[in-house]
Amino acid sequence: MSEFVANWLAAVPANAVPYALAALGLIISERSGVLNLTAEGLMLVGALVGIGVSITLGGFAGVALGVAMAAAAAVSLLFVVMVVVLRVNQVIAGLSIVFFCQGLTGLLGIVAHWQNKQVPGLGILTFRPFLEIPIIGRFLFAQDAVVYLTVAIFFLVNWWLSSTITGLRTRAVGESPSAADAAGISVPFYRALAIVIGSLLIGLAGAYMSVVNVKLWVPGMTGGRGWIAVALVVFARWRPWSAFFGAILFGCIEAIIPYVGAAGVRVPQYLMLMTPYAATLAVMMWVGITQRGINNEPGALGQPHVREERH
Amino acid sequence: MHNGAALDSEPGASSRGSRSTSVRLILEVRQTLPFWKRGLFLFGALGLGLTFSVGILSLAGVPPQQLTLEFVEALNGESLRAVLVQMAPLVLVGLSASLAFRIGFWNLGLEGQMVFGGIFATAISIYEIGPAPARLIIMGAAAALGGAVWCLIAGVLKIGFRVNEIISTLLLNYIAGYFLLHLLYGSWQDARSAFPQSTPFRQFERIPHLQVEISYGLIVAIAAVIVAIWIVHLSRIGFYMKYLSANPIMAGVMGFPTRRVLLFTTAVSGACSGLAGFINIAGQEGRLTQSFASGYVFSGVLIGFLSRNDPIVVLIISFLLATLYIVGQTLQVFYQIPFSMVQMIEAVIVMCVACSEFLVRHRIRLIGRLH
Repeated sequence: MSEFVANWLAAVPANAVPYALAALGLIISERSGVLNLTAEGLMLVGALVGIGVSITLGGFAGVALGVAMAAAAAVSLLFVVMVVVLRVNQVIAGLSIVFFCQGLTGLLGIVAHWQNKQVPGLGILTFRPFLEIPIIGRFLFAQDAVVYLTVAIFFLVNWWLSSTITGLRTRAVGESPSAADAAGISVPFYRALAIVIGSLLIGLAGAYMSVVNVKLWVPGMTGGRGWIAVALVVFARWRPWSAFFGAILFGCIEAIIPYVGAAGVRVPQYLMLMTPYAATLAVMMWVGITQRGINNEPGALGQPHVREERH
Repeated sequence: MHNGAALDSEPGASSRGSRSTSVRLILEVRQTLPFWKRGLFLFGALGLGLTFSVGILSLAGVPPQQLTLEFVEALNGESLRAVLVQMAPLVLVGLSASLAFRIGFWNLGLEGQMVFGGIFATAISIYEIGPAPARLIIMGAAAALGGAVWCLIAGVLKIGFRVNEIISTLLLNYIAGYFLLHLLYGSWQDARSAFPQSTPFRQFERIPHLQVEISYGLIVAIAAVIVAIWIVHLSRIGFYMKYLSANPIMAGVMGFPTRRVLLFTTAVSGACSGLAGFINIAGQEGRLTQSFASGYVFSGVLIGFLSRNDPIVVLIISFLLATLYIVGQTLQVFYQIPFSMVQMIEAVIVMCVACSEFLVRHRIRLIGRLH
């Protein structure tokens, strides 16, 4: 039994990282007041570009992840133009970016012949003496570099949002754009900055899935994880560390799926695959019940700032 | 009104430091816009979107002249019939989206609702409920019920648990999709087939083909459009819906039954999607398959968005989109272009039209300062 738990826990971080990074990217963007639904699409862009670079260079997972982040950020500029410059409805803009990316990555994967080609992935870092700790040894001390990097990114983003002048301005823009504008803070600049920084992380989330986890490109491989990340942001009430623990929760759920069948429990396969989505709905209902009356979403979330319309 | 604020707050613009330039761009919020100009912007945006799409397709190896030929071809003879058959489900998902969008309910669960419509209809066929002559009608009613139930879940979650419907409807798509696979790889799989599909429907359980160009599926869809027109423009519910979309808080304060209107609208919206699923399986596939609903979410969003939620315009947009679908199928066969291409073209068009609204709402003017 402890063997089972240790195996299960060891697989959790790899499953949790995409959720954590994507949710954190969305939090940065939404803290600036932009309702961001693009995660599912940008993760696909990151996943495809990561595999493409990895195939072209023959390995070099680190480079692949970096280029994938840049690619996702580049596509997010389209979103920036739509919601920040042209003030398009943010739901419509986000959805069209997602479906644009789904079509584009599907097409590029075929045109460039990147489908079903294995890449080497990323090595696992082990910290020898600590591996012997029962149950949580491998969970904490035998993971790949991105897992540790993710924790560092969370510290960094939390510090940035709460203790730096640019981070505070980003949040001010999200709470009350007209007040921030009156104080001389450029609303478009900080919103664009937040979207692009967030998209870097979302791209990393997608590239991690393809380059490190699956080691393959399959069209539509994110399978709704971007939408779950959107839900995770609400569940975390826009706080980075809550999103981190939410991501671990979802990593646990996802990591247990392959072990249930292997352990001899007879649960229908496809009903088992539903659990992440059903769990997300359950979590959203729990948020609705327990946090009734608490409203800590960014004050201007989803509202385009039209300076010329201020009263 | 604070007119004439400069664009110089944009990230890239550097005019803030250089006041001496004699000409600059300013942005004004428009109060009115003549009808023809609005149309001009709309068609300009559609043209731009199609140009981008042609550009992307030609990069993928489809020559533009060939593409034009395919579109002309699609509106001829046998192909036109295929276009009209494809139009029926699109009209229904378009209605489904536009009815929900009308009250600000982002129903993005069209695929899940189609799947449950299909599952309910197939259950009627498998358990042989009702006499043979009435079977098809019972299947259609069951499909509408299935779609409505699946959409009502999101409505109830919104009212009872304040779960955002964008998230819940999208997640319900995945749940419905896996449930469909569970059935098709499990107890409902056709024993004589290696594929995940149900046993074929009996002859009287299929929507018959007419000799003329219009199929029965399209007749159902047009009937649904007429009902939608009645709901939206003539009924009391439609009046409430207008109020709810204009100002939900005001509607609540004035004592309108906002919850009941929301639940009614989600049910009708889901029923439309369920019927679309029924038409796809009983009209085209002839059995429950794995992918009869895939790709319809964004089509619904596109139709709802471009039609401004007007049921009559839904018909026109659906016809154009059905043509695109048929051309997409041809390209898939002859150029190995994946069908998700259609979705991408849809997205490009929506982006262009959404961006063109900036020009509808704002006027950009050059102001010359003569020094």
